Amino acid sequence: MKNLNTLLAGVFLAVALPFAALVISSQAQLGALGRAPAEDGGPLFPSREPGLAIQGRAVYVSLGCVNCHTQQVRPAGQGSDIARGYGVRPSVARDYVLQKQVLLGDRRVGPDLANYGARAKDVDAVHAAIKHNGGFSFLYAGDKQTVASERAVALAAYLQSLRQDYSSPEAKLKQ
Amino acid sequence: MTQDNRSGRPQGRPPEGDARLSRVEAQLRGPFLLFFVSAVVWLLVASVLGVITALQQGSLAAGPFRDCEVFSYGRLVAVQRNLFVYGWGFNAFFALNLWLLSQLSRFELRNGWLATLGGAAWNLALTYGVAQIFAGHQNGFGLLEFPREVGPVLAVAFLLAGFWPIVAFARRPTGHTFASQWFVVGASFAFPLTYLLAQLLVLWQPASGVVQAIAHSWFVSNLLLLWIGASALAAVYYFLPKVLGRTISGYYLAPVAFWSFFFFAGWTGPAALLGSPVPLWIQSVGVVAGAMLIVPVIITAINFHGTLSAESGWSRAWNDTTLRFVSFGAVAFTLFGLLNAVFGFRGYNATVRFTSFAAGQEQLLAYAFATMVLFGAAYFVLPRLTGALWPSAKLVHVHFWATALGVIGSVVALLVGGWQAGKQLADASVSLPQVAKAGAAWQYVLTVSAVLLLVGAVAFALNAFGMILKSSAPASEGRHD
Repeated sequence: MKNLNTLLAGVFLAVALPFAALVISSQAQLGALGRAPAEDGGPLFPSREPGLAIQGRAVYVSLGCVNCHTQQVRPAGQGSDIARGYGVRPSVARDYVLQKQVLLGDRRVGPDLANYGARAKDVDAVHAAIKHNGGFSFLYAGDKQTVASERAVALAAYLQSLRQDYSSPEAKLKQ
Repeated sequence: MTQDNRSGRPQGRPPEGDARLSRVEAQLRGPFLLFFVSAVVWLLVASVLGVITALQQGSLAAGPFRDCEVFSYGRLVAVQRNLFVYGWGFNAFFALNLWLLSQLSRFELRNGWLATLGGAAWNLALTYGVAQIFAGHQNGFGLLEFPREVGPVLAVAFLLAGFWPIVAFARRPTGHTFASQWFVVGASFAFPLTYLLAQLLVLWQPASGVVQAIAHSWFVSNLLLLWIGASALAAVYYFLPKVLGRTISGYYLAPVAFWSFFFFAGWTGPAALLGSPVPLWIQSVGVVAGAMLIVPVIITAINFHGTLSAESGWSRAWNDTTLRFVSFGAVAFTLFGLLNAVFGFRGYNATVRFTSFAAGQEQLLAYAFATMVLFGAAYFVLPRLTGALWPSAKLVHVHFWATALGVIGSVVALLVGGWQAGKQLADASVSLPQVAKAGAAWQYVLTVSAVLLLVGAVAFALNAFGMILKSSAPASEGRHD
């Protein structure tokens, strides 16, 4: 405890060992994950986001939606995610490989959005949801808030693109 | 301050002051006051934002600023948390750690302008980062929301402002060291490493997919435990024996507390990822580390509460402003450690996942523990540095009671409210609006608590700024205590 070098070496290890074991090794385990077909020869999932959805994702991040909404479905036995209809299967790491910034979130003031695109009826329903019963008026124009701004359109496209309802090698859908 | 027992230095007790200390303190007065004043200003801003976000939370359609994009909840809440941690938590510990290690290592800060430069850079980068969040340029990771160009500036500023304790430790004239010194040196070294690695893997060269979330959880636990937690522990180790004039009970265990704290804390992050799409073994490591963290928590409990229990220490602590705050913090740390161990485990953890419970734990650590300790430290250090007295005893009382009630209210509301919401969320037949309705009472408690915390912060700021202004004359030689 008297030697600065011993102290610093110990603290260095205390920071570096968990980093290597948790972060570097999970990068080694998951870093090579790519898209996979749901069935032999079928299309690859997760699908690439359409351009408008990529813009919408920027709106989602910029407004801090992640503070109230998660994007992850827990396996049955932990919480009621599947029973609530947030998804048909648990989320797996492969679902996120295309996302430049993963927005898992850690707070559910509002519903989980991992599968929002699969359960939203139509684009009007998405806009109604974005308005949160009267908030976010800055995203809409017109007397009755009926005219969606470019950003609202992009955000809606992003929300509609969110889906994890395909079969994944790690989480097969039950037939 | 007691001046007895100057011959020989018993273990478990920080060295007593000598004549050189006044020079030591005069040297660090400038940078200390810069850090301290910026810390209090950020605390005030964060407290105001805390009231606004408490009003907004749970009712996006109502609440203040409902039609104002800049102050929408998702931005305000990010700014509030960042200002509280990077504005208050860092500036205040820059000041306190520098003062502590200068005292303990008889260190004269000769290049104070470097620390001042670092403090200025830190606060400018912080201001820029906050403006960018308001303008809509934030990242989606808690406590890493600042646009990525802020990161390197903050890292360099940290090296300039926060590295002095290590220099002080290296240059100390005596071989003897004290527990506070280890914790401060550890904190000052662990944070910049953590911050740089996290910046790299989350923002600059993002790791693939969910690995970002793992790196982020590792970063947050390191920031909260190894910077804020370790710095505050150092202060408790210093002020308890110093003010009580007695040695730490079971001090021989303190090295075990130090090493076990540092070696377990870094692994606890992934406990916050239970049920997430990350490898199961990583979640389990986090849970186990959270349980192992009970070792340093128990040892610090023996050290702190043992010291306070002997010779009517509690009542003496209650009657001393510094110790009243510091022992409040020491109790809060023990509670935090116990909760952290119990609620890491799968059953409980899965129940409280995605609720306000995690915010309650963070509030317990960062406010009830660290911030209370910082307040107590300020009541001890500031009169020595300014040579003035606290202008108003009434404000000190307002400060303590408003802050104590506010912090207890907010922690209970977040924890119990989170637990209740978690129970209801586990039942798929209870809809989200029903959960929100059931939690409305806790929302009310949270808002009142936020107002109380603001009142406490204002009382503290009035007192502290009044005192600093009164003593704006150059530092006088010699101490006034």
